[in-house]
Amino acid sequence: MKGILLARIREFIRNPFSFLLFTGISILFAWATSSATGGGSDGLPVPVYVEEGADAYENSLKEQDAFHFYMVDKEKLEQELKEGKVDTGVKLSEKHFDILVGVESPNAGLIQQAVQEVYTAETQETLIRESAENKGMNADQVISSYQEALTEGTFDLSVQSFSGEESWKYDESVQRIGGFAIFFAIYTIAYGVVKILTEKRMGLWDRMILSPIRKSEMYAANLLSSFIEGYLQILIIFSVFYFWRGITFNDRLIEILLMLIPYALTIVSLSILITALVKNVQQFNAVITITAVSLAMIGGAFWPLEIVSNPVLLFLANVNPIKYGLDIIQGVAVYGYSFTDLLLPMSVLTLMSVLFSGLGIHLMEKRHIE
Amino acid sequence: MLELVDISKRFKKVEAVKSLNMFIEQGEIVGLLGPNGAGKSTAISILSTLIEPTQGDVRFLKKSVIKKPSPLRKAIGVVPQEIALYPQLSAEENLLFFGRIYHLKGAELKQRVNEILEQIGLTEKRKALVESFSGGMKRRLNIGVAMLHSPKILIMDEPTVGIDPQSRSYILETVKRLNQENQMTVVYTSHYMEEVDYLCDRIYIMDRGNLIASGTKEEIKQILSSENTISIQANRWNDTFITQLKEHEYISNVHVEEKEITLIAPKEINLFSDIISMTEKHHIDLRSLHVKSPTLEDVFLHLTGRALRD
Ligand SMILES: Nc1ncnc2c1ncn2[C@@H]1O[C@H](COP(=O)(O)OP(=O)(O)O)[C@@H](O)[C@H]1O
Ligand SMILES: [Mg+2]
Repeated sequence: MKGILLARIREFIRNPFSFLLFTGISILFAWATSSATGGGSDGLPVPVYVEEGADAYENSLKEQDAFHFYMVDKEKLEQELKEGKVDTGVKLSEKHFDILVGVESPNAGLIQQAVQEVYTAETQETLIRESAENKGMNADQVISSYQEALTEGTFDLSVQSFSGEESWKYDESVQRIGGFAIFFAIYTIAYGVVKILTEKRMGLWDRMILSPIRKSEMYAANLLSSFIEGYLQILIIFSVFYFWRGITFNDRLIEILLMLIPYALTIVSLSILITALVKNVQQFNAVITITAVSLAMIGGAFWPLEIVSNPVLLFLANVNPIKYGLDIIQGVAVYGYSFTDLLLPMSVLTLMSVLFSGLGIHLMEKRHIE
Repeated sequence: MLELVDISKRFKKVEAVKSLNMFIEQGEIVGLLGPNGAGKSTAISILSTLIEPTQGDVRFLKKSVIKKPSPLRKAIGVVPQEIALYPQLSAEENLLFFGRIYHLKGAELKQRVNEILEQIGLTEKRKALVESFSGGMKRRLNIGVAMLHSPKILIMDEPTVGIDPQSRSYILETVKRLNQENQMTVVYTSHYMEEVDYLCDRIYIMDRGNLIASGTKEEIKQILSSENTISIQANRWNDTFITQLKEHEYISNVHVEEKEITLIAPKEINLFSDIISMTEKHHIDLRSLHVKSPTLEDVFLHLTGRALRD
């Protein structure tokens, strides 16, 4: 088996072009569609236009964590909404605020809640300041002790509501990077696995069958090296965005990568299943392209699954490795879920991986008689 | 030593091999001759335990190897019809790879690889990638890989297809030398009768899944002992001439090529005057007319009515 792996590594080094191509394309796509300001801890970008007399709210808004509020002028705000760059914006006035909605999304409600909190707090502060001054107390001191109490109390509350089951936060950058990374990894892995078919046709497989090497080693070597190639690609893509684009992934990049191991394994298994079902490499290429694109579309790699409402598509999403892969990535980077919170998607992926590879290898062996 | 007993192999619709019997003794070169699609590769794959026959048995040293193939697998080296090499690895790396798979290691592996490179004449090209090789060099390496583990029996499936004459004779000489100097047993498959004629002690001829003749070269040529092969050469033919030849009561198996017609006729009948008068009648510009001693090609033509090569 060491020998086969060694040969495979040599081949890879001499011909890394398709690997580089898929890695490059994923990075390019994700780079072009992700915003530098997004990414995990910074929160979803929301443009804010501040009217005269409302400056006081500006700073408090910037301090809160869930969203990334940035200041723009009126025209810019309207333009960004119209172009669909953002789906929600905010206009701050002295006594009230407006939530401007370009595209209907659940984010609007959450943003409203966040801004409301700031207004309530500010109004309260003004009230406290006035009554303190009336009573001859040091207003600043009262305010700061009030704020201390406030942050402790409400902070927990807001985290709860953002990570809770019923609300969701759409973080474009993580979504896109994750989506493209795990989508294009399918191709790299699949082209690795289908070498079994090429090697069979070339007679290399027969040569190995005649040698003392075991069948299981032949499969293991191929599947392992395909896994490594695909996983390496995912690793590179995430690292590029972490180191050069400043996407923090909630400071839990390593965890995300570790939890994606079952995803990569599932794709390896899916590829061997498809390899067993097709007649030749051309057919495999066609099937894998269609499969990968459909999986990505109904799995949420190109757009958030949350905007899909068709029940059939939603059901299909539940048997779709891409969905679980994205659940893991978003779960950690956006919602801050722990390892145990994500045991479900990881177990489903592991199960699929065992099922597909078992079936795939079985069919492959039955078919070999021809 | 190695035998096929009443082997049949059926793929969905095609019956590729029909009740084939064959045996190979220690130290022989046995030829398996037949046109494309005759079932040679199928027979070879069954002989080397790569596919299971639908019927019949494969025996090595009197023991069936269909269910327990490993004793036979250790003893054979198989040269497949395809170029079964890693194109992106060099000649040496390919040999090292397959050597390791046969559990050769360290100095022993290195030495064996050097010996093989020497034998197949690729020592100078050892570092070059296989994808840059000519057809002949690939074929030579394809053979080299099969010999790494020093097999007792070398099973070769059309090892000279699509290569230049020089590489071809190099390969033929190598096979002959391996047999004479190392007492290697060889099963040699080909659709070139000259190769089989040159190399082999005994020959099996297959056509459309059937074994149509077998024996030593002399025995097979005896099949034609009561017949003559006549060759007519001219620049151009016309259809009425050919039709008349075919309708002649003593002439059989008329085979037409661009400038040569071969036909078979009984020895005791002299057809020369008949043929000459026919050529005059049809204004054929006759160049030569002679009786040939029978070749394996003629035997095939006689038995099947078709030429070996299409
Ligand atoms: N794996 C296969 N599946 C179906 N038909 C096959 C297969 N292998 C060979 N055949 C058929 O069996 C016949 C004999 O083929 P083969 O043994 O390759 O002949 P040869 O080697 O003499 O050219 C052909 O008609 C071929 O199409
Ligand atoms: Mg063949």
